[in-house]
Amino acid sequence: MNLDFLAIAPTVAITVAVVLLLMVDVTFKVGPRWWGIVATLGLVGATTASVWQWVEYRGPDGELFFSDMLAVDGFSSFAGMLIFPIAGLGLMAGWQLVKGVGRRGAEFVALSLIAASGAHLMAASANLIMLFIALEVFSISLYVLAGFTRKGEGADEAALKYFLLGALASAVFLYGIALVFAATGTTSMYGAKAFLDSTLILRPGILLAGIALLLVGLGFKVSAAPFHVWAPDVYQGAPGGVTGFLAAGAKIAGFAAMARVLVIPLGSYIDDWAPAIAVMSAASVIIGTLFAIAQTDLKRMLAYSSVAHAGFIMTALVAGPAGIGDMWFYVATYAFQVVGAFAIAAVVSGALTGRSPLSDYAGLSDRSPLLAAAMGLFMLSMAGIPLTSGFIGKAAVFRAAINADYLWLVILGLVAAVGGLFFYLRLIVVMYMQPAPDGAAHPQLHFGTRFAVGVTAVVTIVVGFVPWPLLDWVKDAVPL
Amino acid sequence: MTFPILSALIALPVIGGLVVLLVKRDDLALPLSIASSLVTFGGAVWLLFAFESGEAGFQFVEKSTWHEPWGVGWHVGVDGISLLMVVLTAFLFPIALLASTAITHRLRQYAASMLFLQAGITGVFLALDLLVFFIFWEAMLVPMYFIIGIWGGERRVHAAVKFFLFTAFGSALMFAAILSLGFLASDQLGGPTFDFVELLGADLTRNAQFWLFAAFGISFAIKVPIFPFHTWLPDAHVEAPTAGSVILAGVLLKLGAYGLIRFNLTLFPEAAVDLVPVLAVLAVIGIIYGAMVAIVQTDIKRLVAYSSVSHLGFVVLGVFALTTQGLQGGVIQMVNHGLTTGLLFLLVGMIYERRHTREISEFGGLATVMPLFAGAFLFTAFASIGLPGLNGFVGEFFVLIGSYLSLPGYAIAAAFGVVLAAVYLLWAYQRMFTGEITVEANRGLSDLNLREKIIIIPMAALVVFLGVYPKPALEIIKPSVDAILERIEEKTDYVVPDFGSTGDIAVEVGE
Repeated sequence: MNLDFLAIAPTVAITVAVVLLLMVDVTFKVGPRWWGIVATLGLVGATTASVWQWVEYRGPDGELFFSDMLAVDGFSSFAGMLIFPIAGLGLMAGWQLVKGVGRRGAEFVALSLIAASGAHLMAASANLIMLFIALEVFSISLYVLAGFTRKGEGADEAALKYFLLGALASAVFLYGIALVFAATGTTSMYGAKAFLDSTLILRPGILLAGIALLLVGLGFKVSAAPFHVWAPDVYQGAPGGVTGFLAAGAKIAGFAAMARVLVIPLGSYIDDWAPAIAVMSAASVIIGTLFAIAQTDLKRMLAYSSVAHAGFIMTALVAGPAGIGDMWFYVATYAFQVVGAFAIAAVVSGALTGRSPLSDYAGLSDRSPLLAAAMGLFMLSMAGIPLTSGFIGKAAVFRAAINADYLWLVILGLVAAVGGLFFYLRLIVVMYMQPAPDGAAHPQLHFGTRFAVGVTAVVTIVVGFVPWPLLDWVKDAVPL
Repeated sequence: MTFPILSALIALPVIGGLVVLLVKRDDLALPLSIASSLVTFGGAVWLLFAFESGEAGFQFVEKSTWHEPWGVGWHVGVDGISLLMVVLTAFLFPIALLASTAITHRLRQYAASMLFLQAGITGVFLALDLLVFFIFWEAMLVPMYFIIGIWGGERRVHAAVKFFLFTAFGSALMFAAILSLGFLASDQLGGPTFDFVELLGADLTRNAQFWLFAAFGISFAIKVPIFPFHTWLPDAHVEAPTAGSVILAGVLLKLGAYGLIRFNLTLFPEAAVDLVPVLAVLAVIGIIYGAMVAIVQTDIKRLVAYSSVSHLGFVVLGVFALTTQGLQGGVIQMVNHGLTTGLLFLLVGMIYERRHTREISEFGGLATVMPLFAGAFLFTAFASIGLPGLNGFVGEFFVLIGSYLSLPGYAIAAAFGVVLAAVYLLWAYQRMFTGEITVEANRGLSDLNLREKIIIIPMAALVVFLGVYPKPALEIIKPSVDAILERIEEKTDYVVPDFGSTGDIAVEVGE
C-alpha cells in the first residue's frame, strides 16, 4: 500500500484547523480575530501542501495512494491550489457575516473550511465511493452555510431547497455509482478504466444508464441545465457573505469530479457521453442566458449567469482529455470573478441579507468609484470582453471544442455570449449611467472586502493581459 | 534592434490615459490628454515620412511569439492602407479632444476613455495577428460604449447598448471564424497559427472560404455599416458627444472597410470574387438609401449620420469593384470621409453648444450673425459633395471610374448619390444659414472663437491639400492595393480590368 503523508497533507491541515477552531472557541471563548488567524493558518497550510504536491506530482508524475483511494496528480493539486485560496477570499468577503452572527461565527468558519476540504477531496478521489463521501462532506457543509442566517428572509427556504434537491441528486449519483459497479465490478476509477479499456461490453445498457445517472448528479452540483432550478433561489436566498464561495466552490468541485469521472473510468466511452455533455452545455448556455436577461435581482441574475458559465465550461469537456486544461483555465478564472462579484454584492446589499435588487447599485460609480469599477470589470470579464481573463477562458474552451469538431456548439456559445451582454451591460448601465437615489449610503469597505475585491480584480486583469503562464500550467493539471 | 515605433503608437495613448487617471486634477485632464495625443500624432507623422512609399509589403514589422500551442503572438506592421488610417486616427484625436470643452462631468474618466479608445483603434489598424486584431477590435468597444453611454445625449443608454450589441454580435461570428481559420490552416502550415501573413499561405476550399468570408464580412459590414446593418449608426452618432461622433465617423467606421480590404479580399479571394454582385448591390442601395433618408431628416446631426451611410457605400463599391482605381478610391475616400464628416460633426457640435438644439427648423439666416461659421459649413458641405479641388472629389471620382471598369451599371446608379448629396447638404445649408433670422434666440449667437478656429483650420487645410494634390496619398496606397489585386488574380481566374495606363491617371489627377 502506497502511504505518503503529503497525499493527505491538505486535508490534515484543514482538519487540524477545524478541530483547533472548535476546541479553542469552546474553551477560551475567543473572538473573530482568533477564528481568522486559525482559518488563515489552515488555509495557508493546505495551499502550501497543494503547491508542494503540484511540484512533486504534476503532469506525468501523478500517483495513487491509500489503496487507490486518492490520486495525487496535477489535477488534484491544481484543484487544491485553487479551492483553498478561493475559500480564503470567500471568508474574507463574508467576514461581516461572521462578525454579525455572534458566537456562531466560529461554526461558519469551520464549515467553510470543511467544505473547502470536501471540494478538494472531490478532485482527488480515485474511487467512486471516496468521491461520494467527499461530495457529501462538501454538500452538507454548503447546505448549512446557505441557511446560516436562518431567521433572514429566504435563507431557510434556500437551505431547505438546496438540501432536498441536493439530497435527491446525491441519491441519483449514488445509484449511478452502483450501476457502474454492476457493469465493471469495481468502484475504483482506475480499476474501471483498466476493465473498460480491455473488455468489449456487448450490451453496455447498464453502464450507459450508470453514466447518465452520474451526469445527472454532477450536473446538479455544477448547476447545469436542466438540473439548475435550485441555483436561482439558493443564490438569492443565501446570505450575501456566503454566496461567492458557494458559487465558486460548487463549480470547482463539481467540474473536477465530472472531468475525472468522465475522462478516467469512462474515457473509452467518450463517443457516448460527449454528445450528452454537448446537449447539456447548449441547454445551459441558452437557458442561463435567456433567464438571466429577465432578472431584476443581481444575485439571481448571477445565478442564471452561472448556469450559462457551466455550459461554457462543459464546452471544453466535449473534447475529452484534451479539453481538461482549458476547463481548468475557465473554472479558475471564473471562480475569481464570481467571488469578487459576490464580495461586492455583500457590501452593497449587505452580508447578512439575501436579496440584492439591481436598484441597490444605481449610481454606484458616484458613491464608490472603485467598487463600481471592479464590478464593471467582473461583468465585462464574465461577458468575455478581451483584456480580461474571461475572454481568454472563452477562447480556450471554444478552441478545445472546435478541435473536437463541435463547431455548432461554439457558434451557439458565441451567440449566447452576445445575449449575455444584455444583462452584464445592464448592471454597468445602472452603476454608471443612472443617478444615485437621494440618501443612498456610501458602502463601507472593510479590510476583508478590500482584500478580496482587490485580489480578484488584479487576477482578472493580469490573467487577461498575460494568460500564457496559466495556460502553460493548466496543461499539467490533468488527471493521472 | 530598431525602435518599435508601432508598439509605441499603441502604448503612448494608454500611458497618457493612465497619467490622466492618476493625476487627480479635473482641470488638467483635457490639456494632458491633448498633449498625449499630440505626442502620438508626432510619432504618426514621423512614421508617414519614414515610410517607403514604393513598397507593397508591411514595414516596421515587429514580431514575437506569445504562446506557441495557440500560434498567437505580437505581430504588427504597416502598409500603405493602414498607414493612412493610423495617421488619420492620430490626427483626429487631438482635434476631437480639443472639441470636448462642453464636457464637465467626470472629465478624467472621459479623457482616459478617449485615449484608451485611440490605443484600441490604432491597434486594430496595425495588428497582423488575427487574435490580437480581435482583442483590439473588441476591447475598443468598451471605451466607446462608455463615451456614448455616460457623456451622450438624452437617449444615450439606448444608443450605447445598441451600438455595443450590434458590434458584439458581429464580433461573435468573426471570433468563431478566426478560431476555425486557425485550425483549418493548421494542417497545411504545420501547427495552429493566427498570424495573418502565414495564413495567406493556406489553401482553403471554396466552401470554407464562403463561410469564413460571410462571418468576417457580416462583422465588418455592421461596422462600416453596409445596408441593412446600419440601424445602430444614426442612434449612436446622434447621442454621442461631439468628440465621440467625430471619432465614430472619422475612424471607427473605417475599421469595417479596412477589415474588408485587409482580410476578406486577401484571405478569401475566391469568395470575394464570387460575392462581388451581392456587395455591390448593397453598396449602391446604401449610397442611394442613405442619401434619400438624409434628405428628409429634421435633425442636422442625424442628417450627417445618414450621409455617412451614403459615403461609406462609395467606399464599399470602390473596394469590391476590384480594380486598382476603385480600391485606391475606396481607401482615399475613407480618409476623405473621416475629414469632411468629422468636420461636419464638429460644426454641428459648435452650433449645438450655442443653442442646445439640432433641429434644422430652429435655425435660419445664421449667415448674418455667424458669417465665418456659415462659410466653414458651406466649405465642408462642398467637400462632402465632391466639388473638384476639394478632397471629396478625388475619392468619388476614383471610385466611380474604378467601378465603371468592372461594374458599369452600379457605377451609373451610384453617381446619383453625388447628386443627392448636393440636395441634402445644400438644402440644409439653405434652411439653416440663408435668408432672414427667423428665431429670435439666434440673433445673439457669437461667431467662431479662437479655439474653434484652431480646430477647423488644420482640417480644412488637409481637405484642400488632398483635393489639389492627392498624389502622395495615392502613391502610398497604390503598391498595397496592387499587391492585393495581384493576389486575387493569382488565386482565381479573375482578371483585373484596366484602362491600360493606371499610373497615368493618378498623375493626371494629381497634377
